[in-house]
Amino acid sequence: MLAYIRLEIVRILRDPAYVIMGFVMPVTMYLLFTNLGVTGADRVSAAVYVMVSMAAFGAIGSAFNNGTGIAEDRTAGWLRMLRTTPLAPARVVTGKAVTGMLVVLPAICGVSLAGALLNGVRLQAWQWASIVPLLWVGSLPFILLALAFGYFFSGQTATVLNIAANLGLAVVGGLWMPVEGFPAWMRTLSGWTPSFGYADLPRRVAFGQAPDAGTALILAGWLVAFGVLALYAYRRAGRLA
Amino acid sequence: MTSTTSTTGTTGTAHAAGTGKGAGTAGTAVSLGDLTKHFGAVRAVDGLSLDIPVGQTVALLGRNGAGKSTTIGLLLGLLTPTSGSVRVLGGAPEAAIRAGRLAAMPQEGGLVPRTTVGELVGFVSRTYRAPLPVPEVLATAGLEELAGRRVERLSGGQAQRLRFALALAGDPELILLDEPTAALDVRARREFWESMRAFAARGRTVLFSTHYLEEADEYADRVVVIDKGRVAADGTSREIKRLVSLTTVSVTADPGQAARLERLPGVTSARARDGRVHLRTRDGDATVTALAGMGAVRDIEVAPAALEDAFIALTEVDA
Repeated sequence: MLAYIRLEIVRILRDPAYVIMGFVMPVTMYLLFTNLGVTGADRVSAAVYVMVSMAAFGAIGSAFNNGTGIAEDRTAGWLRMLRTTPLAPARVVTGKAVTGMLVVLPAICGVSLAGALLNGVRLQAWQWASIVPLLWVGSLPFILLALAFGYFFSGQTATVLNIAANLGLAVVGGLWMPVEGFPAWMRTLSGWTPSFGYADLPRRVAFGQAPDAGTALILAGWLVAFGVLALYAYRRAGRLA
Repeated sequence: MTSTTSTTGTTGTAHAAGTGKGAGTAGTAVSLGDLTKHFGAVRAVDGLSLDIPVGQTVALLGRNGAGKSTTIGLLLGLLTPTSGSVRVLGGAPEAAIRAGRLAAMPQEGGLVPRTTVGELVGFVSRTYRAPLPVPEVLATAGLEELAGRRVERLSGGQAQRLRFALALAGDPELILLDEPTAALDVRARREFWESMRAFAARGRTVLFSTHYLEEADEYADRVVVIDKGRVAADGTSREIKRLVSLTTVSVTADPGQAARLERLPGVTSARARDGRVHLRTRDGDATVTALAGMGAVRDIEVAPAALEDAFIALTEVDA
């Protein structure tokens, strides 16, 4: 399985779409959003607030890129090929999920480093030590949702869904603009999305607050739901491959 | 079954007369018992029984849509049979794959972009417990020069050689090749078969599907003709040609002689045309000897049967 993960990592690093969407774009957007037209005291809190948002946005993008690649793999006959090697199918899925956990790291670390080194974000060591792992572990529901898309749909459909889900979750979850500016109904809706919870937990830590248990529960719920969905999609794809 | 011709000749091996009920003895690489696979109303495989002893190189010969790829899909456990049994190396296909004893070369696809030839072979190799050394695999498939090349930049022939390399990387006991040379030119095809022969020479069992008759003729110990999802004929290519009596012997002779010549050993039909008599025979040697004995050898021409003719004759029986 390690050999498989290594192969997948090599493949994804050679994918320009991944390098741009999973690293260059979140870091660039972060620096733009926090340095253009933001001044004074706002600038400091914006640097922290948007850092978490863009790290989350980049990680979600990378997670989707990883998962929907499965659809292309199937079209290319790669999944069929894997099934004729001794590698057990369950290990292929596990390997793909582990790959997902690795490919979200450049966005999370890149944006965090840009915050600390370029935007002057100063946090306590324990805050960094909580934020980064929270962003990392919290990406798991999205990795699983993307796996489900990859197993359910064909290459093109998966790509379209990838973009739609990525942007939809970013906007509604308040990653691009704070939910405080949303109309009330949209704020309620936002509270239930996995992307809101994903960013809200580390953001509260960054601002010295305790994470909200309800939000954590909602994110955990999505984790279970997407996990079941991914498992079902994988089983179904196995029957059809 | 009256229209199905079948022999059990297997070039000196005593195995193949099995009943095809999934006996799975140690010496049997493949055992298909009354196998069927239906896709809706389409009977892709329709009562196919076949036993292949270890060490044989067998061609699965049939036209497009005859059921070759479906049979290979069933042998790999990628498809579930509608009925009947599939046993590979004494067990289920999945078990043989997990144990690294069965590998396959797909007709197309199976190569992922953004990898190099060396990386892909190295990866597949590592999924096996006792693989061949990667350099040896690359050499056998003629890919040494291409180890660093990206998969998406390979020509059709190079991609096909890579698929072959991936299939043999784990040193499997049984290898299934689905129309392995479909995309290759004549030279690449010859090179491919040389690699394959080197592999088979190590006592491995090879089953390949093809609709190139000359390939079946030249490279297989045994030819299994498949038509409409079942075995239409089974034997060495020689036996299959004989089965349909297709050697043609022609001599210059008076048309009146035709009836007499038709009674010669081996002859199944005689036809007079343009001052010559054309004889179709099951046994060219016996016919020619007899012609010589009666002093009738005048401008003799012997045309050995093309397997292609045999193939057409066999698969049109039911048409």
